[in-house]
Amino acid sequence: MRIPDEMRNILYGNYFGYVCTSDKHNQPHLTPVFFVYDENSQKIFFITNDKSKKVKNISENPNVSITIDIRDPRNPFNNEGVLAQGKATITEKAPIYFLPEETLRLYYDIYMEFKSKYQEVIENKPLGENDVIVQINIEKMVYWRGPHFKSVRL
Amino acid sequence: MGNKEMKWIYEEIVGKIPPFSLVSYKYSILLQLFFLLILGLILGFVFHLGLVSLLYGSLAIMVAVLWSLLILQLGPTLRRFRAPLSKDENELLEQYKGILFHRKHYEAIPGLAIFIPFMAYLFYFGTNLLEYWLGKHPHIILLLFVSLLIWDICYRMGLALWTSILALWRSVRLQQLAEKRTELEHTPYTELRSLRRLDINNVFFGIISLLLIPLFQIDRFLVTIILIFMVFISLISMISAYKVSKVPWLPPDLYNLVKDSSFAYIGTSFKGVPHVTPVVYVFDGQRIFFNTSKEAKKLKTMLKNNKVAFLIDKRDMSNIYENKAVLFTGVVKIYGLADIPLRFINMLSALSLFMRKYPEYTRKYRTSELPKAWQLTPIIARILVEVKPIKIIYWRGAKQISVPV
Repeated sequence: MRIPDEMRNILYGNYFGYVCTSDKHNQPHLTPVFFVYDENSQKIFFITNDKSKKVKNISENPNVSITIDIRDPRNPFNNEGVLAQGKATITEKAPIYFLPEETLRLYYDIYMEFKSKYQEVIENKPLGENDVIVQINIEKMVYWRGPHFKSVRL
Repeated sequence: MGNKEMKWIYEEIVGKIPPFSLVSYKYSILLQLFFLLILGLILGFVFHLGLVSLLYGSLAIMVAVLWSLLILQLGPTLRRFRAPLSKDENELLEQYKGILFHRKHYEAIPGLAIFIPFMAYLFYFGTNLLEYWLGKHPHIILLLFVSLLIWDICYRMGLALWTSILALWRSVRLQQLAEKRTELEHTPYTELRSLRRLDINNVFFGIISLLLIPLFQIDRFLVTIILIFMVFISLISMISAYKVSKVPWLPPDLYNLVKDSSFAYIGTSFKGVPHVTPVVYVFDGQRIFFNTSKEAKKLKTMLKNNKVAFLIDKRDMSNIYENKAVLFTGVVKIYGLADIPLRFINMLSALSLFMRKYPEYTRKYRTSELPKAWQLTPIIARILVEVKPIKIIYWRGAKQISVPV
């Protein structure tokens, strides 16, 4: 199923995502991330350090949630956002000459996506030595605007 | 102070005498009680004391033991105390511990100051108390035993004065110093709580002294003294506990971030499936509350697993090095109808904070035709939830800092 337009607009139009992971003891963890959305694969990507708590949690439990929203401190009816739930996979990390071609391709594509979306902040900063790409295979999405909810399964 | 053990003269002496030296301090107190009781009973039978005398003696011993159990928690608690992350507050705490457990044992002075006049009063100024306790012409051994008990009581009364006055001074100073904090300076929450608990122990110490009244009931003057002592100890300990509870447990950087932000995100997890949604929240300087609809998924999840992640951030796309976020991981307390009797004030004050922070929200929730779950019927449809952090992580720009709780 295709992601409905209003959900896609939120995914494209916002800079911050809030990723929630959970460890093997069911203790949630939450961090703001920069992310990109890829329409073809219907996946959300973010880059993170492989020593981070979320990577550790994902390796224990691949279920993740990410919320992307627009907040209006004055009028709750303007609040709009999506929650995407799914399984995350972490792209393998190795010196580039050991990586399969498709992974290299993915690194390149995602990096370029990030560069164009977060131009002002990333500038020409290269990927760090410990950076890994996390991809979220969206299984379910919830959309809200004010008090109205809508949800889809992919 | 370094690693020097923080002990008072009494603990030090008892700690050197077997069998007390062989067991932990809690058991050594119970052991002391037991020995004194046995000794008292033996003396009672040998010298044919009445049942009333035995009861009074036992009561005095019980009071001494209860007091010990309360006041001797100071040493171990302060020994475990983690250093405040503020130079001034750390110095204050070191100074406080230094005076409290001074090498010259100043703590025995108030005890002596009570013991000496009391003995003089008892033996020379003709009260009938000795006769009331022990009958006419008591044996010298009985007098010695009673003097020992009196010393036990007076010494602990002195300790209570010593510790509660010092505690009040410490709390007042701590509150003053906390106002001058910068950036990440603070005293961890757990440590502030343990100081408060010690103060509350002293409130109970004061109340327990009421048990002594039957012993002195024939002497109005002494009953008055005990009442004054009770009120004094309990009152200044309560003030001290109150002052400590007003010391912010968040360092200024985080305090301001939490105070000034409008939104937060709450992460929950059930059966390994995490969930995250934005929420409105309020902060009263000490506690963080957020609101959720009774129908919300996160509420159902939190009722089954109260572990949460709660994130508050400042977004700024123009300068990511100015971005700040704080993550509280811990548990939540969900307020329900059952909490109304005991926590009504808390719930009401949280509600009024919501109304002040989100006036437009409150108005809109009230006036429109909304789904039932969204209507602002406090407690019934909107549930109040308190965040109780166990761990704090703070991001400033790209830097990640773990803040002790």
